[in-house]
Amino acid sequence: MGMLAEEYLSFKKVLQQKGIIFSFSGYVSEGILFALGDALKQKMALEDTDTNTTRKVFSVFVEQVQNIIRYSADRVTGDIGKPVELSSGMIAVGQENGKFFVICANVVKHTDMERLRERLEHIKSLDREGIKAFYKEKLREDPDAESKGASIGLIEIARRASDPIEYDFMSIDDGHAFFCLKAFI
Amino acid sequence: MQTITIAASERSPEVEFNFDEGVLKLKGESYPEDVAAFYGPLLTALDKWLSDLAEGAKISCDIELVYFNSSSAKALMNLLLLLEKAGAAGQSVVVNWYFNSDDDTMQEFGEDFSEDLNHVQFNLCAVEGA
Repeated sequence: MGMLAEEYLSFKKVLQQKGIIFSFSGYVSEGILFALGDALKQKMALEDTDTNTTRKVFSVFVEQVQNIIRYSADRVTGDIGKPVELSSGMIAVGQENGKFFVICANVVKHTDMERLRERLEHIKSLDREGIKAFYKEKLREDPDAESKGASIGLIEIARRASDPIEYDFMSIDDGHAFFCLKAFI
Repeated sequence: MQTITIAASERSPEVEFNFDEGVLKLKGESYPEDVAAFYGPLLTALDKWLSDLAEGAKISCDIELVYFNSSSAKALMNLLLLLEKAGAAGQSVVVNWYFNSDDDTMQEFGEDFSEDLNHVQFNLCAVEGA
């Protein structure tokens, strides 16, 4: 009897119970973003998902994965004949009560956590028109060196989402927390 | 100035900046790995061309994008601000923003981008979808 299959089947069932149709955990690169995004679009097209919904899910997916790539504190860099930088994180796309969701999670430094929380709280405090106005403001702003344009990516996620974005932090050691963001579309 | 032509890739748009004709085109999807590396040289060339242009020139910019990420949005805004500056300096600038008629996101982006441009004729062009 296969313990191995049993173990991974139960892992798969946990994902299924959460409505997850698609997940990735580990080191992410722009290449992985592209490949996963392409599979996501194809899967949604096969299921005759409304094209506006597909576009929004894809857009949230791209911004979320790029946030991992840019901001995950769990990263490796090196040179294998070309410079390589890989960021670790988790990505999940699923369906719950007839809505799609995109979840991304990654490790952040405690020192970055408060700033990220402030940004997210500010975005959450805004209504649709407020989010739109904030997006336009950020569009015209010079990116501050530290953020690499983080805010506008988060605003884009909030704009495409059908419900207020959900997020959480959990401290994992003296210097780091696990950050998780969920957006329904 | 020599025309800039870049073929579309899976993640970056087709570009044709025909400076002799005053026609600038962007078409496709835009979420390049490195937004600065893609748009930086285009914006530099555009800025240079605009600053050497005789007054009263006609400039037409066709934007036919079906998707762009937030970093590309900033680059597009910078491109439009260069055109706005040229419009304010007396050039005749038309921006045609094409979007699929059922694509509310791209329509809304067109509206957002056009709002603070006062010296550019900004046309929202709905294209009937397949």
